[in-house]
Amino acid sequence: MSELEQRLAALGRELDWPETPNLVPVVRRRLTAPARQRRRPVLLRRSFAIAIAALLLLAGGVFAAVPSVRDAVLEFFGLQGATVERRAELPRVPTSRPLDLGARTTLDRARKSLGFEPLVPGAAGRPVAVFVSTRAPGGELSLTYGPGAGMPSTEGTGLGLLVGEFRGDLAPEYLGKITGQATRVERLRVDGNRAIWIEGAPHLFFYRPPDADFADSELRLAHNVLLLERGNLLVRLEGAFDRQRALELGRSLR
Amino acid sequence: MGGDLDAYEEIVRRHQAIAFRTAWMITRSAADAEEAAQDAFVKAHGALARFREGSPFRPWLLAIVANEARNRVRGAGRHVRIAQRVVEERRPDDAVPSPEAALLGSEQRDELLAAIERLPGPAREAISCRYLLDLSEEETAAALDCPRGTVKSRVSRALERLRLELGEVEA
Repeated sequence: MSELEQRLAALGRELDWPETPNLVPVVRRRLTAPARQRRRPVLLRRSFAIAIAALLLLAGGVFAAVPSVRDAVLEFFGLQGATVERRAELPRVPTSRPLDLGARTTLDRARKSLGFEPLVPGAAGRPVAVFVSTRAPGGELSLTYGPGAGMPSTEGTGLGLLVGEFRGDLAPEYLGKITGQATRVERLRVDGNRAIWIEGAPHLFFYRPPDADFADSELRLAHNVLLLERGNLLVRLEGAFDRQRALELGRSLR
Repeated sequence: MGGDLDAYEEIVRRHQAIAFRTAWMITRSAADAEEAAQDAFVKAHGALARFREGSPFRPWLLAIVANEARNRVRGAGRHVRIAQRVVEERRPDDAVPSPEAALLGSEQRDELLAAIERLPGPAREAISCRYLLDLSEEETAAALDCPRGTVKSRVSRALERLRLELGEVEA
């Protein structure tokens, strides 16, 4: 082997390859599933797709002009508690819905009512308001923050930061997102925790409780989002901030 | 069935790293690579009956993996440079020097990576498979879906080009 070849081989050993995921459980699961369920869950379940279509129709939309609902999924990303699908075209949402975050409360009261210990992003300062919803198993916490340093006002909500937290282990596909091609979706690690950064054109956002194929609690357009696994929690950080600020906020969760 | 699955699990466990990295080398996307490798293992299990007993398993598997990975490559816009990926994915506190770091300084590494990136696609793939992934000629041929002779000539031309780029050709 020539010196150049030796250097190339050394380079291969030195490269910090993306971490190999453990494929054993998911391959086994797929091989033991009935034949029709063996496909990776890339495409929306039919009933789910129909539910979205129906929802768009109910929302006064133009479903007839939205064949993209049934377009093939271009990419699929998943975390415990969230799925992100990138499609050729984003289904159109006629109106932006107001946030539905549940009942207003305090952080202390939320700690007592939730089935988990809340995480608060220290880098964001103090939350303006705290909400708890029972929509997700174990409860869902929302923290809202006003605009501030590195957290510009988000169009539609006026918030600088919206934080959402729930038990991803109890509701593995609870939070769903559909993006178009103008939205960048990146899988990354934040302090070793799996995460997904979604940036660019707004994307569709909805909830999918485990006991229902689809529930319209909220279907709206969301802005930049960092989805982050922390233990058994799925944390969502949403706002008009950039990737660097999102990572700072994610790393400051305590 | 359970026994078969246990045995197949062991196969997946043993080959998942090379399958994932081969897929990543083609897609340059961890998400796509994960899906490609996962689908490949499921398909390979279904095709085991067609696997010729006595043949090496890895080239056969890598051909399926590479095919799945290529199906996911969509357009040049998805191309992520290896160096960029390495830098982005490595956290500062992970920067533990490897034993090879002593052999290959960071400047040399960057220079070599940049030279690899400048290679034409087929040459870059051949070099990446043979040296970065440490695949055999047979495995590289399976992954690139071409004859072994083609792998040999691509690698040879790529090495020549790299030497030129790095100014290592003797006058």
